[in-house]
Amino acid sequence: MTSIPDLVERALTLDKYAVSRLIGIFEDRRPDASARRSSVLAELDTRRPDRPLGVILGVTGTPGSGKSSLLSRVAVDLLGSSETLSIAVVAVDPSSQVSGGALLGDRTRMRFVPDERRLFFRSQASDNDLGGLGPTSFQVCRLLVRLFDCVFIETVGIGQSEADIRQLADRVYLVLQPLGGDEVQFLKAGIIEIPDAFVLNKSDEPASDISFHQLQGSMWLARPFDAEFPPVFRTSALTGDGLGELEADMLGALAAAVDSTASAGAAVVAQNLSTREPYFLERWVDDEWGRRGVAFLHDLLGGPDEFLSTVGGFDAALDRFDETFAESLSL
Amino acid sequence: MTEPQKHQITDADGNVVRDRPWIIRTYSGHSSPKASNELYRSNLAKGQTGLSIAFDLPTQCGYDSDDPIARPEIGKVGVPINSLDDMHILFDEIPIEKMNTSMTINGTAMWLLAMYVALAKERGVDISELTGTTQNDLIKEYLARGTYIFPPEASLRLIAEMYEFCLEEIPSWNASNICSYHLQEAGATPTQELAFALANAISLLDILAERGHFDDDQFERAVGRISFFVNSGIRFVEEMAKMRAFGELWDEYTRDRFDVKNEKYRRFRYGVQVNSLGLTEAQPENNAWRILIETLGVTLSRDARARAIQLPAWNEALSLPRPWDQQWSLRLQQILAYETDLLEYPDLFEGSVVVRSKVDELKREAREEIDKILGMGGVIPSIESGYMKSSLVRSMSERMSAINSGEQIVVGLNKWADGIDSPLLGGDDGGIFKLDESAARNAIDSLNATRAKRDDARATAALDALKSAARSGDSMMSPSIECALARVTTGEWAGALREVFGEYRPATGVDGQKLSLTNERVDGVRRRIDALTERLGHRPRVVIGKPGLDGHSNGAEVIAVSARHVGYDVIYSGIRLSPDEIVQSAVEEGADLIGASILSGSHIELTAQIFERLAEYGASDDIDVFVGGIIPQGDFDKLYSMGAKRIFTPSDYELIEIMESITGVLEERADAAGI
Repeated sequence: MTSIPDLVERALTLDKYAVSRLIGIFEDRRPDASARRSSVLAELDTRRPDRPLGVILGVTGTPGSGKSSLLSRVAVDLLGSSETLSIAVVAVDPSSQVSGGALLGDRTRMRFVPDERRLFFRSQASDNDLGGLGPTSFQVCRLLVRLFDCVFIETVGIGQSEADIRQLADRVYLVLQPLGGDEVQFLKAGIIEIPDAFVLNKSDEPASDISFHQLQGSMWLARPFDAEFPPVFRTSALTGDGLGELEADMLGALAAAVDSTASAGAAVVAQNLSTREPYFLERWVDDEWGRRGVAFLHDLLGGPDEFLSTVGGFDAALDRFDETFAESLSL
Repeated sequence: MTEPQKHQITDADGNVVRDRPWIIRTYSGHSSPKASNELYRSNLAKGQTGLSIAFDLPTQCGYDSDDPIARPEIGKVGVPINSLDDMHILFDEIPIEKMNTSMTINGTAMWLLAMYVALAKERGVDISELTGTTQNDLIKEYLARGTYIFPPEASLRLIAEMYEFCLEEIPSWNASNICSYHLQEAGATPTQELAFALANAISLLDILAERGHFDDDQFERAVGRISFFVNSGIRFVEEMAKMRAFGELWDEYTRDRFDVKNEKYRRFRYGVQVNSLGLTEAQPENNAWRILIETLGVTLSRDARARAIQLPAWNEALSLPRPWDQQWSLRLQQILAYETDLLEYPDLFEGSVVVRSKVDELKREAREEIDKILGMGGVIPSIESGYMKSSLVRSMSERMSAINSGEQIVVGLNKWADGIDSPLLGGDDGGIFKLDESAARNAIDSLNATRAKRDDARATAALDALKSAARSGDSMMSPSIECALARVTTGEWAGALREVFGEYRPATGVDGQKLSLTNERVDGVRRRIDALTERLGHRPRVVIGKPGLDGHSNGAEVIAVSARHVGYDVIYSGIRLSPDEIVQSAVEEGADLIGASILSGSHIELTAQIFERLAEYGASDDIDVFVGGIIPQGDFDKLYSMGAKRIFTPSDYELIEIMESITGVLEERADAAGI
């Protein structure tokens, strides 16, 4: 077994094996993994105290919108735009409710760049058949933002997952494909309110023009209070059209995060994942223990914020919650 | 002279005659142009009447022999052709103006035809005398065979331009060959085989009509150039009916949809290779009978008899065949054609109520399916939507489960499996073909020699002209011929067009598969996976990969789907991956297992590369490897000594057994680690 300090040292050079092993620790659902996670984070923060955390860009969209192909091209282009920029992609696919297994196919679309440490791709299973973030997506992001400049998180977007990705990502891109129907479909989808930017992909398809105008038309209805409507990028992952503008927007988000004095209009907030811990603590409690667990967290532990500050950190909170709640149940 | 009887065949003058036999071929080619040339000449001397050329995977996928992805595959499943110099060697002392040459070539079909034309030009042969076929059916490549290069639109343009060139320049050349062969290998039912192949041909004609290059007369002749390549399975009565249905449907569609007036141009012309899917590794000598019976399906009925036949060898499920194995299959054809009285009679089944009814049923079902595909906009949309692929995958799963349950009997496999060991597998070579190890080096040497002595300026100019034609929409055929004459290489030709058209990755067949794995053994494996999930802290992950260029993805896909079905998280990335890519995937994904599926005969080299890369990452202790494919027993020890934990071959047809076995690998490792 390689020791945690060794793995951390190698992971800081983006050695793929070491990064993967560390991710394994953040995906590990055995109770004793919390302690190892804490020591990985402590080790990282000691070695690189001043390193700015990476920016999380969410890419979500319906199945068939072409987001995997799009992301594949974007990631390779961004890599080429800079000598140093490092990118991790976490792609989440639905799991089978029957067997628990999953077919993780997003990698198929990714272009292989041999021996390129600056690009790392990891698939995750959502653990349910609707898609959305996986149970350990947040955990893995805690690690990856300390290693990579940019972390893409790609999900199939249905229902709850939009809210989750909104909480996790600094900037959310919703990928849509041209629709045949009228503008109501954009509203019905109920997803127009979430993203910071829209990407209308497959602009090479004939219905694209109509959909573009419908989407802009829907914006008035769905987001009447926005001072400025979010941008709509029109792209084709097939021909590469329009990718330049989208990539410029992403690079802008990355730059804004590093330079905190950037324009106030940017949706990117200061990088500190700890502000997201209360939300994901509650989501975790909900996943593991259901509504009774959530009620316990709020009523008896003072809510996620207070509990986190009492026990001193996310990993400790998970452990302590398990113990406390299990005790309360056995009483 | 007595009047001819109804059971006799007469010629135009009323004389009783015997039919001419079909073209007798053997699909062959291996190692090097020189070795293949010797094989062809000896096959022709044995009475073979045409050539059927097998190219190696790098040639089929458009890579030069010295490309890193090509290295393990050089000369394995066919002959490597890097440039026109190789063509000169391949056809040395073979009079191409008299030869009917069939080339199983698809993604690079235009290139191989251009080289054949260039060869004729350099030999001073009038190119209009050339006869033969370039397979050139990309639809079935996307669906089943996997040696496509470009996206569908570009591929169909290449095919169309070949028809447009050949019609006047090489009028007896079949520019493409609509293949249902591989569809049956991928699990197609007779109805699907009929429907998909005909829909494919109809869509091709739609495109030719739409391009508007031909006038009415030319279009009619172009329809007459459409030929087919079909499969013939063990249910030989139904197969015979299928061939009659093919002929009638083609006649009807070309008449009604394309208004072809001359009956001659509506004729369904086809070649055949009989089924390999049903050939077993268990008791392989039984395959000789299967091949014979399958041949009857495409020869018995005169009205639907094949124009050209090539037969697999009895030991194909074990390895690539040896010259003797091919000779044995060749003799079968000769006995049937020359010893028996088969060719003395008119159609034997005309008027048969049973045959008529069966043919009508197949036609009805096929028409329904064709309407469905054309309703979706033709074959390209139904490829892109994954409709055709998932239909095939479903049929294949049903076939597999019928064999698993014993409902479909396969003699020697799931019934009467005990038998005496075959003496045919004795001998020094263990009954299998051993490739000449020096083939790869020779191919690279001759490639370098070509590059050294050619006029680089001419080659560069030819490639530029090719790219500019590709971009402008002009025909790429003439620029390709100039490329051939200028000693451009296979990888350069394909590389130039990759630059313009991009490279295609189609839908994998893993979505929506249903396997009838529902018994208590599945529950058992699921419980073991759940237990492993607890022990490891994560759900076990397996990367299923197809290293190398071989595109036969059915086996890998079935394994990927089965693994998910029992509870694995499965990363399946499709075909044509380098060992580097597979290992990098496994490392980045934190996989516990790699399953590599290899059918090209390159299992030793590719598996070795996988272990080398794992060691370079320092991941050898974390990731175990199992290998599946056509792997001779004699290679097992080598693979085990490299570190392979399990080896699966076609005789391991029980999916649940494979799942139990690989789960065992993980349990053993967890035990050893004390988790």
